[in-house]
Amino acid sequence: MSADATTRTGRPGNASRGSIRLEGIVKRHGATTVLHDVDLAIEPGEFFVLLGPSGSGKTTTLRILAGLESVSAGSVTMDGEDVTTTPPGERDVAMVFQSYALYPHMSVAANIGFPLRMVKVPAAEVARAVEAVATKVGIQHLLARTPGQLSGGQQQRCALARAIVREPRLFLLDEPLSNLDAKLRLETRLELHSLQRNLGVTTVYVTHDQEEAMTLADRIAVFMDGRIVQVGTPREVFATPQTRAVAGFIGTPPMNLLEGVWQGDTVTVAGHAFPVGAHAAAPRDVTLGVRPGDVRVADGGLPAHVERVEDLGDTAVLSYRAAGALVKQKTDRTVVRDGDDVTLGFAPGSAHLFDRTTGARL
Amino acid sequence: MATGAAARSFEAQERRFALTLVAPALVLLLVTTTAPLVYLLWTSLHRLDLGMPWLSGFAGLGNYAKMGSDPRFWNSLGLTAIYTISTVVAQVVLGLGVALLVLQIPKGQGLLRVAAILPIVLAPVVVGLFWRTLVLSPDVGLVDLVTRTLGLGSHNWLGDPQLALISVIAIHTWQWTPFAFLVLLASLATLPPDIYEAARLDRAGAWQRFRHITLPLLRPAIVVVVILRMMTALSAFAAIFAATGGGPGSATEILNLYAYRTSFSELNLGYGASLAVVLMAITLAISYVMFRLRRSRR
Amino acid sequence: MIVAKPHPIRAIAVPVLTGAALAIWAFPVLWALLTSFKTERDVLAYPPSLIFTPTLANYHDVLFGATSIVPNLWSSVIVAVGATFFTVVFAVPAAYALARLRYPAKRASGFYVLATQMLPPVGLIIPYYLVLQRVGGLDTYFGLILIDLTLTLPFAIWLMVSYFEDVPLEMEEAALLDRAGRFGALWHVILPQVRGGIAVTTIFVFLNTWNEFLFAVVIGGNRVRPVTVAMFNFMSVEQTQWARLAAGATLAMLPVILIGLFAQRHIVKGLTVGAVKGGGRR
Repeated sequence: MSADATTRTGRPGNASRGSIRLEGIVKRHGATTVLHDVDLAIEPGEFFVLLGPSGSGKTTTLRILAGLESVSAGSVTMDGEDVTTTPPGERDVAMVFQSYALYPHMSVAANIGFPLRMVKVPAAEVARAVEAVATKVGIQHLLARTPGQLSGGQQQRCALARAIVREPRLFLLDEPLSNLDAKLRLETRLELHSLQRNLGVTTVYVTHDQEEAMTLADRIAVFMDGRIVQVGTPREVFATPQTRAVAGFIGTPPMNLLEGVWQGDTVTVAGHAFPVGAHAAAPRDVTLGVRPGDVRVADGGLPAHVERVEDLGDTAVLSYRAAGALVKQKTDRTVVRDGDDVTLGFAPGSAHLFDRTTGARL
Repeated sequence: MATGAAARSFEAQERRFALTLVAPALVLLLVTTTAPLVYLLWTSLHRLDLGMPWLSGFAGLGNYAKMGSDPRFWNSLGLTAIYTISTVVAQVVLGLGVALLVLQIPKGQGLLRVAAILPIVLAPVVVGLFWRTLVLSPDVGLVDLVTRTLGLGSHNWLGDPQLALISVIAIHTWQWTPFAFLVLLASLATLPPDIYEAARLDRAGAWQRFRHITLPLLRPAIVVVVILRMMTALSAFAAIFAATGGGPGSATEILNLYAYRTSFSELNLGYGASLAVVLMAITLAISYVMFRLRRSRR
Repeated sequence: MIVAKPHPIRAIAVPVLTGAALAIWAFPVLWALLTSFKTERDVLAYPPSLIFTPTLANYHDVLFGATSIVPNLWSSVIVAVGATFFTVVFAVPAAYALARLRYPAKRASGFYVLATQMLPPVGLIIPYYLVLQRVGGLDTYFGLILIDLTLTLPFAIWLMVSYFEDVPLEMEEAALLDRAGRFGALWHVILPQVRGGIAVTTIFVFLNTWNEFLFAVVIGGNRVRPVTVAMFNFMSVEQTQWARLAAGATLAMLPVILIGLFAQRHIVKGLTVGAVKGGGRR
């Protein structure tokens, strides 16, 4: 999968720069451990997303990459060089903060030029670089303003420009779109994607929004409770979630999870046997997972009561009460209405099975 | 494996930087406050009378023992209590009252705020002199003008022991009520207006709104004002010194003034030091209690 | 808290009471100002004359007369400016470390700073007097500025801490990533954002040291005699020269009154910040 990622991204010239490796990273705050033995390998030019719910350790990982937090154990390697103890300014990495962290007392131009001025780049050169970068992100007409006079979207671009101007080997982005309104977020997401492709700089992007992760990422690392539970392309993470927790986190709405018993070729849920296209010799407690998009109204399936129909125009999300649980269906054809009683099924190949106790994919 | 190295780098660098920044101030405080404090404690254990230098020598706790039978000390202690409590209570009550009043007037808030700044920025010694001459002097002082106009007659405000105590309390209250007023006004301004609208909808009257909304929400600010005003009252010196000098007799001689007069008028620095130590112990004890109180109220 | 329908009694009482508060606070000061333009005879007139022929004689006297306060004003300027300078130079870096950086014994050092603020001045003046007398430090600017620092430094540190705490944490982090280094982050990014706080601190320290009396009267002498001491001495020597006293006091208080009027907003903010946050949360 990593080879795949490399071939899809990366410009020549950058191919050798920006390879990142985390090995055995442990981070403790006093008695609590926020990261347990995290390993990651990020390829040059890759757009790599750290995805997970809040408190899962993704932001801590990003801050460790930035050098803003030390590690309790483990090592950080960039382009083959151990940077575990290198201070933030000497790692050749740039970061865009969730709050943007623009310097309020400086003009936009001064903000963007700041990382260059700090290493004594001549003024004329700074001005040239600032102009070029500002043009690239479309704020060249705002250079004389201060951050307080910019809109949210413009501030975000300014923060981006400040990161780009120094041509670092690694971009770190901490939920950079979360402070934008919904429409602007979608636009900016696309621009961000093409900008990264253009520059070819390795990018690590933290978000809790899986839609962002799916659309932007070459690969995703899913964080849960201070551990990486899965690394893969968006398609892999969506199609073959490695744990029940990942399955329940990814997808809008996420995967339906039903408790059942797997024996032979079927899983029995609330007395109803579903063929799952896989065989178990001995009976086994499992969690059966079905994507809402794979749920069908079918004769002879699980009896279900329609609780709510959310019509989104082109698609609809239906909520059923079935086998004592809430089951969601995503469909483009609404054939049922509130209060209907129907039976539900799914194609055998679309079933995901997880061990009931460990949550691991079977 | 990297644990030690990590500690060496980022955090160690931060630590070094922090100590570089904080050490000069800490050393300076050590030299300018703590070392003198130790010397004060040492002095308080000695007989040190610049009027009678031949008697100087180690006295152990003699100075402290002497206080027990020193009526002037007990007098000053009582006056300190009266002075501190009455000025602090008056400042908070008046300051809160004026702040609530000012919120009711549509215009002129700014003017009152400017007027309130005036007493605060003046030197207490100058305030003491003003009051002693232009405000409180018999016959021509402002207060006497008022009392004579009202038919209450002329009084020797600073000459009579009881009136003098009331006067120095009034001076302190005049100068520092604006502080309570400004801080409480600022705190009142931060109270969310929708709470009041909700209370109004719940049919709470003006007094109920004050009692059940304003006062509880204002409590933290009030506690802080009380703490800070107490500290100022305990170290009040210049205004009283200028207005009465502690007199007549020792009618306005709070502990602070007694320690000063003993040390620098009577030149009995050993005993003065022990009085200062007592004052300091009281100040520290009160601030400790107040901070505990503040924390528990949170 | 705007009252929808003012009660008729309230409509009268509120303006009257606020007017009274205004008068009580402002009038003594204005009265002193007025007095400074009177002749000594007008001062003692009864009933007091609001209409009189103003004279500048008192000002001429206190400025150019035998007991000119000009040297005292200079003395005050040196002491206040010196103490303010050293206070800010020492307090600002220390406050930054206390507010933002991790280092050993941080809580303890914060508490220590707070505790030094509680020492009563009369307790400090005795050892200072004894030591300075021995080393020839009485009546020197060095001695007076040094002891004034005990008054201003702890307060200034805590005031600045609350301003540093208001700057978002990401500011340093962004600056560190932008290769500014620790010092660069402080100098280029943080300090410009606490300029307001430094201004408030400077104003407070200046007011406190300008108005200081106890230390000045004990440590000072013929050479170092700030205006506060000069005013007090004037009163002791020339008990009845009220108009001249008023003129001298007006001049002596002019700097702090001007600061009070022009920096009113800053002062209120400083009082509030100091009261709500700086009063020691540890």
